[in-house]
Amino acid sequence: MTDWTPLAPGSSEDPAERAARENQHQVLIDLLGAYADGELPPETTSQIDAHLVGCVRCRRELAVHRAMRRRLGFEPPVAAPPALRDRIVAAIAATPVPAQVTAPARSRFAGLWHPMVLGPIVAVLVATGLGAALLVRQPAVPATLSPLAAPAGTIPLLQDALSDYRRVVAGDLPGRARDLDAVRSAAPFPIEPLRVPSVRLLAAWTTELGQDPAVVLAYRWDDRIVLQYVVSEQRFFQHPALRQAVAGGGLLAAHDGEQGIVAWPTSSAGALLIADVPPERLRPLATAALLAGKVARGAP
Amino acid sequence: MNPISASISDRHARFDALVLPHLDRLLAFAARRTNMRADAEDAVQEACGRAWLGLDELRDPTKVRAWLYRILRGVLSESEERSARRRQLVSITRLEEAHDELVSSDTDMVFEEVAARLTGEEVRAALGQLPDDFATVVELHDIDGFKYHEIAEIVGVPIGTVMSRISRGRRLLAGAVVASRTSSKELGFSSSQERRGGRRGGSGTTGGGGGIR
Repeated sequence: MTDWTPLAPGSSEDPAERAARENQHQVLIDLLGAYADGELPPETTSQIDAHLVGCVRCRRELAVHRAMRRRLGFEPPVAAPPALRDRIVAAIAATPVPAQVTAPARSRFAGLWHPMVLGPIVAVLVATGLGAALLVRQPAVPATLSPLAAPAGTIPLLQDALSDYRRVVAGDLPGRARDLDAVRSAAPFPIEPLRVPSVRLLAAWTTELGQDPAVVLAYRWDDRIVLQYVVSEQRFFQHPALRQAVAGGGLLAAHDGEQGIVAWPTSSAGALLIADVPPERLRPLATAALLAGKVARGAP
Repeated sequence: MNPISASISDRHARFDALVLPHLDRLLAFAARRTNMRADAEDAVQEACGRAWLGLDELRDPTKVRAWLYRILRGVLSESEERSARRRQLVSITRLEEAHDELVSSDTDMVFEEVAARLTGEEVRAALGQLPDDFATVVELHDIDGFKYHEIAEIVGVPIGTVMSRISRGRRLLAGAVVASRTSSKELGFSSSQERRGGRRGGSGTTGGGGGIR
């Protein structure tokens, strides 16, 4: 975009000055939207004020910004039909309340766990369909572990994840837990972190496993680090040994050197937990995630 | 009422107060990104379900609107991925050329009039021709009234990216308006009902009188 008008039309301007102004024009044109919206700091606003005096093109550009913004500002909201509101309210009523709500902190409500008190509460929760949430908190039956039929290192997904795990744990964690929302919006599949009392989410970031997008969630579990990899279901189900291991609704279990792995399919992705422990130790974490996913989907 | 029931009841009350008032705006945002109204409603319902489950993550109630939009964007993105729906975009080069032509000529006053007279369908059709990255930030600011820092949080990009996307997005939008009107005239369309197109299956119309002269 070289169509700008010199500050003083007709005056002779040094080519270098002209080039400098042209560079400035290129930079400022990308800020005109923010200028029109009052989103720039005062010093930048002053710079643009000065530039606009001599630049017809930018003044037109600014007029376009203002015209489009004004028109879009008149777009009316779509009235949500009452039926939609009713559907949402009904769906919420039928959705189990997340575990932390139905299971308040023990220090505050410790007395609730006395059998004389707990019995009626469980009865009420079961009667209102909320009993499933308690199951999430205290899964009674650990999910079955299905040992992998082939060495973990021969399956590309596991090999990629193990190699990434070893690289990550050898250095600083690359993200922060508060980035989870950004990671969620960047991921092409749903991301649900583990919700287990002894496990705390430390960091979340996106990566690639064998050129496929993946999300990594890093947890502190007592004094160790656990990494959860979430990949697309296409990638998860790619290898027959993986498909076979999770076919019965259980957890894939594998190990490679000091690392234990458990893996399971989620509603529309696949998840792997890796830590420096045998896979059996990871089973409670994966079981909680598996059951939480089933409850969220309304599966039995 | 025992503490658990009270807690559940409080949660319902909090959800009703924080989430339900935003259904209209959420539905409008989803409707601009889906082929059918039913798909938009499903997306909003799914987003509300996730909001219910994640209500504890919302620490600051004043940020509820941005939080809901972020959830909705995630739902829409998954839905688009699953259905392998791809937007039909017009060449960006063509939109940029149309915009360059607009600001190179003496038509700014006319364009302001044209923009002011655009119908809702024309606006949606023009937005539908933009890549979603650009359309989203422009809509979030100009239609939904978010500030740049809020948009950065919703979209998950730095604020500088929001600035440049809004600038470029509005330029492309103006280009889309100009291009559609120009092509309508070239094609001899006289009615805004005669030319349909647009992203996300929007059956918006582009065309009609009052074009750039």
